[in-house]
Amino acid sequence: MDSDIIIKLNKVNFYYGQSRALTDITMSFIKNKVSALIGPSGCGKSTLLRLLNRMNDLIDETRVEGEILFEDKNIYAKDIDPVEIRRKVGMVFQKPNPFPKTIYNNIAYGPKLTSMNTDDLDTLVEQSLKQAVLWDEVKDILNKSAMNLSGGQQQRLCIARALAMKPDILLMDEPTSALDPISTAKIEELIEELKKNYTIIIVTHNMQQAARISDETAFFYLGNLVEYNKTEKIFTNPDVKQTEDYITGRFG
Amino acid sequence: MKDMMKSFKNNSMKWRYFKQNLFFGAVRLSALIIALALGGILFYIIVNGIGAISWDFIIKPPTDSMTKGGIMPAILGTIYLTIGAIAIGLPLGIASAIYLTEYAKQGRVIRLIKVGINCLAGVPSVVFGLFGLGFFVIFLKFGSSILSGSLTLGFLILPTIIGAAEEALKAVPQTFREASLSLGVSKWQTTYRIVLPNAMPGILTGSILGIGRAAGETAPIMFTAAAYFTAKLPGSIFDEVMALPYHIYVLATAGTNIEATRPIQFGTVLVLVAVVLSIDLIAIIIRSYMRKNKRW
Repeated sequence: MDSDIIIKLNKVNFYYGQSRALTDITMSFIKNKVSALIGPSGCGKSTLLRLLNRMNDLIDETRVEGEILFEDKNIYAKDIDPVEIRRKVGMVFQKPNPFPKTIYNNIAYGPKLTSMNTDDLDTLVEQSLKQAVLWDEVKDILNKSAMNLSGGQQQRLCIARALAMKPDILLMDEPTSALDPISTAKIEELIEELKKNYTIIIVTHNMQQAARISDETAFFYLGNLVEYNKTEKIFTNPDVKQTEDYITGRFG
Repeated sequence: MKDMMKSFKNNSMKWRYFKQNLFFGAVRLSALIIALALGGILFYIIVNGIGAISWDFIIKPPTDSMTKGGIMPAILGTIYLTIGAIAIGLPLGIASAIYLTEYAKQGRVIRLIKVGINCLAGVPSVVFGLFGLGFFVIFLKFGSSILSGSLTLGFLILPTIIGAAEEALKAVPQTFREASLSLGVSKWQTTYRIVLPNAMPGILTGSILGIGRAAGETAPIMFTAAAYFTAKLPGSIFDEVMALPYHIYVLATAGTNIEATRPIQFGTVLVLVAVVLSIDLIAIIIRSYMRKNKRW
């Protein structure tokens, strides 16, 4: 069991200035599974997600306590370069955010700048776009601006862009909340496909989405981890009453 | 009751339309006044100056104690000084703005620096001129030269460029930075590859103002670069030059024959305006080229 754990949080507290956003979080994410983080707005689930690739470093006046172990190393240790962590832990954001560059250059941007082996950039671009199931739609317009794509296509492009870095973990922060149902369905199918090769941790406000795509679900409330269980269990017979109340829509 | 409601509603709609028209009229009038004033000045300069313009006026140096001949050395001098000012002000200004917006920890010190920069923008240009004289010309021994003049003008336009660059950098969506950083791209690469290219059109827009100012200022170059008269073209950046604004000043106040040289004065003004507009035009063309890819 332990060998399946890819990232492990140990008594993590997180502060924005004086206010505590996460309290004593201890949990482990399992390799090649989809883990969903759910909970009402402001419960700390996005904060937790952004802790895992040190994106919270960008915000002034924040503080982390406890440790987050990835490959047996605390990613918040002094000698760890956050840039290295972000190479291995990719991220997809709530709103599609392609660069105002061509489709090709959106994908090639990361690998080119991070001294990855880029002998065959064309192949890498094709591979990544195929993984994100976007290749057939864009293969003839690789040199057109990514800004011309639809929202759903842009989000798949952002997924492809993250995949091009060959990360171990893919973090997704409400990746479908800005998309229409058809695009959402496509992304969900994609996530199902991607978990064969990647560990996916996804924040979602959509309960059905969590139930559909995830293997494990964690319910957060007011900065606390209330329950973390198999998704089936969470949605059929949760251990904690609060979880049940939230899932059935009694509060949140 | 229903009718009353209706008529009241109509009345109030009429009143609101009246207010709207009144307001639109006022703003339209303001715009018109500005356009007329600008057109008037331009018209006045063209009417009075066009007579002096000829091919010889553009390509020949002044003759007969500057009462005849052309203004070629002054045109060239102004172009040199402006390019020099941009070469100094633009990189320095952009670099400062990058530090202030992207790297520096926002706090009291940075706020103080920003206030200082804003104050600098309001300092009269003659102060810059005197500073240039004391520091570049005398202390650094650059003499009255293109170099001293360019440095002084470069410093003069620095606050304008820093201000424009700061605004342009801040306008680049944070999501671009996040996307780049989340790929494991370093902060400097993110700034250089993503933030700066997207801010460049905005930076140039603001810089155009600075360019116009650099080309048109008299006081800063009076002590640092401009010659009263020299028929010789500058051979190095340590040479003195004639410059259009200073030439106009000289002809209009201290020339050998002020009344007789009026047409030359207006001709020189017209050329100055044309030079400034052409430099602006180049900046605008570069900007529109850079903007082609920008859409978010």
